[in-house]
Amino acid sequence: MVALTYGDRRIDVAEGETVLSALLRAGVHPPNSCRAGVCHKCVHRAIDGDVPAAAQEGLSDARKSMGYFLPCVCVPKTPLTIVLPDDAGPLVDAVVRSIERLAPDIMRLRVETEPSFTYRPGQFLEFVAEPDLKRHYSLASHPEEDNFLEMHIRLHENGRMSRHLSQRLAPAAKVHIAGPSGACFYAGVDLDQPLVLIAAGTGLAPVWGILRDALRRGHRGPIRLYHGAREARSLYLADDIEALTKSRDNLAYRACVLDPDAAHGGDLVATVISNETGLKESAFFLCGGEKLIRRLKRELFMKGASLSQIRSDMFTPAQ
Amino acid sequence: MSTLYDRLGGEKAVNAAVDIFYRRVLADGRIARFFDTVDMEDQAAKQKAFLTMVFGGPNNYTGKDMRDAHKHLVAKGLNDSHVDAVLENLARTLRELGVSESEVQEIAKLADSVRSDVLNR
Repeated sequence: MVALTYGDRRIDVAEGETVLSALLRAGVHPPNSCRAGVCHKCVHRAIDGDVPAAAQEGLSDARKSMGYFLPCVCVPKTPLTIVLPDDAGPLVDAVVRSIERLAPDIMRLRVETEPSFTYRPGQFLEFVAEPDLKRHYSLASHPEEDNFLEMHIRLHENGRMSRHLSQRLAPAAKVHIAGPSGACFYAGVDLDQPLVLIAAGTGLAPVWGILRDALRRGHRGPIRLYHGAREARSLYLADDIEALTKSRDNLAYRACVLDPDAAHGGDLVATVISNETGLKESAFFLCGGEKLIRRLKRELFMKGASLSQIRSDMFTPAQ
Repeated sequence: MSTLYDRLGGEKAVNAAVDIFYRRVLADGRIARFFDTVDMEDQAAKQKAFLTMVFGGPNNYTGKDMRDAHKHLVAKGLNDSHVDAVLENLARTLRELGVSESEVQEIAKLADSVRSDVLNR
């Protein structure tokens, strides 16, 4: 018998029994379908204990490293603590270090938290400015380069968080965070593979983290970074990226701004599609607003990119 | 004797087939509209489950999920001609992957067996 911890419950898994079967027997009914490790509907995350390798087969390297597994084919040998995949975990204390303007409509927020908060660049967290004011933001910082967590936040007219950020929140303010979440980070990429990083708007936050992570991990293949913005003044971090391209001979940067006179009207999707060749061999990271990223993902896939090589971080508007 | 699933190459073969099959389906004007609003990863996972099943791989197919997943599409006009189109794309995918004609026929028969579940008949 093996002990399974699920929220505040302790469930016994019988000898040879799967985690899914034990959950169902205990009256917990997680989503599930094929019960053969194929459809991924029942996926959970182990936050403590060892998951047998067979229960992670078919999952991306990023998800495997985060403890994702398939309860329907998981026969545990040792105690496990598991949560649903979208469970961000408990709130953690954090303190605002700085709030700066990166562009007329984009703020850079840096917060400090306890060193035990670990993450991979490109993951996102839940930022809780006040008990009823929370949003998901992707991380632009790198845990080995920065001793703070960095978020890039687009200001929306009449947005609650925007008002809070620009009028009330100040350095030293106490806030909370939860996470990290998300599997859009540098994992499962071959060091020699062409790496294509595509950011729309503040999608540059995760991409900036992923880029520095790829370089630190010794990525040798060509890296092409695209950043799309509606207006030139919103192309932030351009100087930092340009400086980085000068010190690396495998890094190229292309900025796209909507402009009827520019090639492809400055459309990010059209620019990427016309510029990229060898889609089948490349690893992709797509970060930004949901609509554009969906369109881009579909175009890349239809032109030959492998779905398993397209990682994405899609931003959805606050509810 | 090894199963058809093993002969084709197991999970690796299914992964290769999903990319090609899904791309064909999205490019097919007869059926593409049914996939307009779906999440691509979710859809790929479902197709993987379906292809694993028709390849004779590990599955616990009951038909219920297939019925539930297509109910709203039947209401939008999904009919036999669309199932035919999907089966056609499946056969083309298999031929592209070099699967022998007799095995293509075997798989097509298995795939066709879910027709009444898909159409909620």
